[in-house]
Amino acid sequence: MWAWLLFRASGLLLVFYLFAHIIVTSMSHFGVKVNEFGETTSWYDSLMEFFDHPIAIVLDLCLVGVVLYHALNGVRIILMDFGVGIKQHKIIFWVCMAITVLCLALFAYVAFYFLINEVGPWNGTTEVVS
Amino acid sequence: MKAEVVAAHKGGMWAWLFQRITAVLLILCLALHLVLTHILNIGELNYGNVANRLAHASLTAVDIILLAAGIYHALNGLRMVLMDYWFGSRRWAVALSIVLWVVGLAAMGYGTWALWPWIS
Repeated sequence: MWAWLLFRASGLLLVFYLFAHIIVTSMSHFGVKVNEFGETTSWYDSLMEFFDHPIAIVLDLCLVGVVLYHALNGVRIILMDFGVGIKQHKIIFWVCMAITVLCLALFAYVAFYFLINEVGPWNGTTEVVS
Repeated sequence: MKAEVVAAHKGGMWAWLFQRITAVLLILCLALHLVLTHILNIGELNYGNVANRLAHASLTAVDIILLAAGIYHALNGLRMVLMDYWFGSRRWAVALSIVLWVVGLAAMGYGTWALWPWIS
């Protein structure tokens, strides 16, 4: 029951996030302006600036947790549709949750590395890859 | 648990099948999407840097697949939830489907337009 309820709740949250994500991405089309230094800035740039903020990083991590829960519980449901593990559904649920936690730990490592060092763990510099 | 399995078929066979297909697509493409956005270090997030990262056609292809699969999966999921509470009768269920298809197609158009500066 809890697995089902959380699956619904996470699903509804992700519907909301998907539309927010599409709208944020579309901001590249809006509100381009030139600031006092003669640089072009836009709505998009000010939004992106916020996404490098620690609060946004922590929220991102929460989002990854919600996505992972929904994805792994979804895998369990697909397995049950194929008749796999119907009798062992509790064990499979906990295996899925273990994978969720492991993946989340990986993302948490990257997030906290970024928060502390202000660069990602795979690159030593902040140079732009072009 | 029994309720989960039974309820999953209520929305129709094709919706059920596409929900599974888009689920698998989403897991694969989302993994790629997340790994790429984390590993490809672009420095500060801004229009130019994001544009550089998205200049590769393969990345925008993944994004378009994500957009289509995501919208279908999201709205069909929403439909399944709504049908459990308010849109149980056949007539209301059909009306709901039509509204969600319109919303979905509009979102697909708007989302593609949102990605457009990086496609062309």
